[in-house]
Amino acid sequence: MAIRIALAGNPNSGKTTLFNALTGSRQYVGNWPGVTVERKEGKLKAAQGAQGDDVIVQDLPGVYSLSPYTLEEVITRNYLVDDRPDAIINIVDGTNLERNLYLSTQLAELGIPMLIAVNMMDVVRKQGDRIDLNQLSAQMGVEAMPLSALTGEGAHAVAQAAVRLARQGTVPRPLQVFDGPVAHALAHIEDALTHRRHGHHHHGGDVRRQGEAMPAALRRWYAIKLFERDDKVLAQLRLAPDVRRGIEQAIADCEQEMDDDAQSIITNQRYACIQAMMHDALRRKRAPGSLSASDKIDRVVTNRVLGFPIFIAVMFLVYYIAVTTVGAVVTDFTNDTFFGAWIIPGLESWLSNVGVSDWLSGLITEGIVGGVGAVLGFVPQMFVLFFMLAILEDVGYMARVAFIMDRIFRRFGLSGKSFIPMLIGSGCSVPGIMASRTIENQRDRRMTIITTSFIPCGAKLPIIAMIAGTVLGGAWWVGPMCYFIGIAAVVVSGIILKKTRHFAGDPAPFVMELPAYHLPGMGNVLRSMWERGFSFIKRAGTVILLSSIAIWFLKSYGWADGKFAAVEDMDHSILAAIGGAVAPVFKPLGFGNWQNTVATVLGLVAKEEVVSVFGVLYGVGENALDLVEEGAFDQLAPIAMNFTSMAAISFLTFNLLCAPCFAAIGAIKREMSNWRWTAFAVGYQTVFAYVISFIVYQLGMIVTTGFQPVHLLPIALLAGLVYLVFSPTPYGHNDAAPQAVRA
Amino acid sequence: MPLIMLSLGESACIRRISGPPPVRARLAELGFVVGERVTVVAALGGSLIVQVKGSRVAVGHDMARRMMV
Repeated sequence: MAIRIALAGNPNSGKTTLFNALTGSRQYVGNWPGVTVERKEGKLKAAQGAQGDDVIVQDLPGVYSLSPYTLEEVITRNYLVDDRPDAIINIVDGTNLERNLYLSTQLAELGIPMLIAVNMMDVVRKQGDRIDLNQLSAQMGVEAMPLSALTGEGAHAVAQAAVRLARQGTVPRPLQVFDGPVAHALAHIEDALTHRRHGHHHHGGDVRRQGEAMPAALRRWYAIKLFERDDKVLAQLRLAPDVRRGIEQAIADCEQEMDDDAQSIITNQRYACIQAMMHDALRRKRAPGSLSASDKIDRVVTNRVLGFPIFIAVMFLVYYIAVTTVGAVVTDFTNDTFFGAWIIPGLESWLSNVGVSDWLSGLITEGIVGGVGAVLGFVPQMFVLFFMLAILEDVGYMARVAFIMDRIFRRFGLSGKSFIPMLIGSGCSVPGIMASRTIENQRDRRMTIITTSFIPCGAKLPIIAMIAGTVLGGAWWVGPMCYFIGIAAVVVSGIILKKTRHFAGDPAPFVMELPAYHLPGMGNVLRSMWERGFSFIKRAGTVILLSSIAIWFLKSYGWADGKFAAVEDMDHSILAAIGGAVAPVFKPLGFGNWQNTVATVLGLVAKEEVVSVFGVLYGVGENALDLVEEGAFDQLAPIAMNFTSMAAISFLTFNLLCAPCFAAIGAIKREMSNWRWTAFAVGYQTVFAYVISFIVYQLGMIVTTGFQPVHLLPIALLAGLVYLVFSPTPYGHNDAAPQAVRA
Repeated sequence: MPLIMLSLGESACIRRISGPPPVRARLAELGFVVGERVTVVAALGGSLIVQVKGSRVAVGHDMARRMMV
């Protein structure tokens, strides 16, 4: 059977770097706590000491403790406690030994073979500090080994030692963390747990599964969790009421004797034990409390005067480079030279040479290459954007951004950590929504997932450019207005949703470790860029490929002259029939013809599809996306003829705010891990989009047609919206506690 | 006095931490425990960046005011 080795440690301590070194996998590593939000598995490379058996290495989300408060903690804890790997490699950051060992003392209680890999030993040496690994080993009762995950130094030895430990199954000797009344109370609880099992045997062998499943080695761990009054463990063990009462009495006695609450008692004794260890094992050169280089940078970057301007300047620079300069050059090359001059003409002549029938040639060049190619045209720009963001992340600046933005986001019920998902979401909602996992509070996370796709993503830019360029005469304010609408939608939704029962309460208090600044590692930056960009390409290769084919079919076939056949005129296509049936829904928004309806619906496949579909349905041709990118708006004139200015703005607003593309809905489902919440998110977005577009269009009509009684409805809706935003919350500002995550 | 009253660069020992257990647990696992020495690195509108147990932790205003030094 395969040996399973788990990597556990604090966030940002280098687990993923070691994982990549051991498995040869290419996981993205960020200088941002919480990069790994789910477990990842890999096989140990032969070069790293795997021989004979398979060795599976498991990368766990970084945690500060095994308490059940954040999603990462729950994932890590459940894996360690329930799946019980054969060995744990506990990675600790050598530059921050004391805090990192807090988790180590808890891991050592799990009764699983374990070793400590002290990472960043090179940095420790550079700082002039010295860690006595022999002392640390002796004190912790487990082997402590040096590691520099970044250079790979020590990785091989660590892996081999872990495999050896897993084979031997040597469980760490129990640490003497707790003494006095605590040790007494823990012994009492352990006793109660043991007797409970025997008791069940006597009463007719009614052994609860949980009781049977609790390995003797874990009894200590369960006892400590019970002492801390851990809800999840209490629920899991389903103790008999008298056993529970006995345990509670022991805890209460101890609390009274120590004059402190149970949780603090445990925490304090752990830190006291670590401090004693540190005394022997660590020689520090720098006096604690003195400022490091990172602290000095933070003084400037998060300065109350300079912090915000610096942030704006950095973001402006990122977007300027990504969208207008480098990004534009690369995008032009892809569209004009790569697809325009090389791929499509080459493919066309090749297809006619091999004698492919016309309809198949049409499907391939128009349907597939046209559809997928148009999407891929945006990839270079996204790669440039992701590259810039990856640098900011790797350097350590992104964590500071969350801190700077917290103050502002808090006003409308989100936390500063919501900023990163939205920033990434401005490239593509899919990775943006996925980034919401670093938000520990469930309400905040759900709120962020629901609102992230309001921010115009890269794929919505062509819609904006098309509407601005054709109907609105290239007005400069359209682009900024769209971002403003997106941001306003986030703010208004935040405020309104906070007043509902499910989101009531202040956002979780902000606490976040800030990583040390370091120079960006190119390999890592490129990997991050590739991973995010690739998720977009994959989408183009699957969802968009399939839908391109489906749409090509729907628009090319239909009923003409009483029989089902290929149709010349798209008015007769299946697509037109579907669009015509749904179109009346959009009449009040000013764009209720079948072409616009079809485009909006197909926008669910991918937002940029709206432009391609317009091109086809309004007779511009297959290359509408290219035309938009080239700025050849005169050729897109047929589109403009179908819109008034207000209808165009309404159409744009609806498409910006309504349900995102299928890929993003898939990401929402993944993150919510619940269909009801997913349905709520998509429903909310669409209804919100409808209401806003309705108000925008109808109020705009007052200007053109003058006031009419029907305009009372949009005015009432607007008043209702304003009331929702400014009315006091019905649920008050109650608990500010980070809710325990229900896994 | 509350932690937010410290000026930039000043250090002090934590005397008391209040709040519901999950909040205190979160603070404790990051190193904020009674008796611990902390240094204020940066302050921004009531939020702080604090040096604690050799790492930098950003704490929002409502967390910072729960800690007495």
